[in-house]
Amino acid sequence: MLSLTVLLLVTQVAAQDPRLERLDPDTRSQVVAMLDSARGVGLPTEPLVQRALEGVVKAATGARIVTAVRRLASDLGTARTALGAAASTPELEAGVAALRAGASPAILARLRNVRRPPLTMALAVLADLVASGVPADSAAAAVLTLAPSARDADLVEFRRAVERDIALGASPAAAAGSVLLDAGARTARPGRP
Amino acid sequence: MFERQEDIVERVIGHLRRPVSIDPALDARVMREIANLPSRPTRHPLLRAWPWLAAAAVLAALVIARPWSSRSDRPDAFQFVLVAPRAASVALVGDFNDWDAARTPMRAARGGVWAAAIPLAPGRYRYAFLVNGAEWRADPGAPAAMDDEFGTPSSVVTIGGS
Repeated sequence: MLSLTVLLLVTQVAAQDPRLERLDPDTRSQVVAMLDSARGVGLPTEPLVQRALEGVVKAATGARIVTAVRRLASDLGTARTALGAAASTPELEAGVAALRAGASPAILARLRNVRRPPLTMALAVLADLVASGVPADSAAAAVLTLAPSARDADLVEFRRAVERDIALGASPAAAAGSVLLDAGARTARPGRP
Repeated sequence: MFERQEDIVERVIGHLRRPVSIDPALDARVMREIANLPSRPTRHPLLRAWPWLAAAAVLAALVIARPWSSRSDRPDAFQFVLVAPRAASVALVGDFNDWDAARTPMRAARGGVWAAAIPLAPGRYRYAFLVNGAEWRADPGAPAAMDDEFGTPSSVVTIGGS
């Protein structure tokens, strides 16, 4: 009777999102439960589905998939607390990346206060800088400095310039500082359009 | 003896400075000829206004299409490239195609370059290349996904919204 109920439940959920049929039944039921929990507290579920599907295609074990999805759900909640209830799904995903890169929730909250939404690119650049080797504190300081006035394209260019300097042999922290100084000088130059 | 160059120049200048005598009746003759020219036919007002109408149409088209605008209802196509000279097949797999290895096969170009372009709305996407159906590779030209929990490399791409 119990197994029949579980089977019916899984079949019903799979009918709602056929993508989840790629998961084995046990993993699927656990993932579905987490999706329901996330939905219940207003978190986006699509990132969780994608993380589960990534695990499937990469032949991860069910336990590993469940762990990854659970951790992502938790981090999405932390990001939303820091970024506010109005944060979009891309902002929350980028916020998770920034948190995992080492930025504190307080940094995310400060970013929200100094920059108009969307914050996706600013958060992503922060995470990408850390991935390039820039210390998290330096990356956060640089992004917070640029965030109030820089466009998304400016932030991307900043990240590229830092990566270029690192590739040329500069230390990541020095590269971030140097590029930031250059950006500041350009901004302060009289007659800049 | 040859004439000095300065003297030649002076002579030419002097020649050019001589007043030219013009027939006093020349002005009257020219004006009479102009008056006798056939007048241009009057064009229809619509024909006279066509350059302005054309300019207005172009302006209206630009305002409607707004080609300078970075925002669009249609997501921009994003090009993914991998250099893999010895690969027999490469698939682009990520958040944008439900991590389905069959959905976005990359096309081989010259020099072992594999490419695929897909439309991406603003957001942050994880992805990887699947080479020969078995080997996962990150994009060497993109930031690495630091939080890969499945033991294989992935990359991230962020599409801005402003």
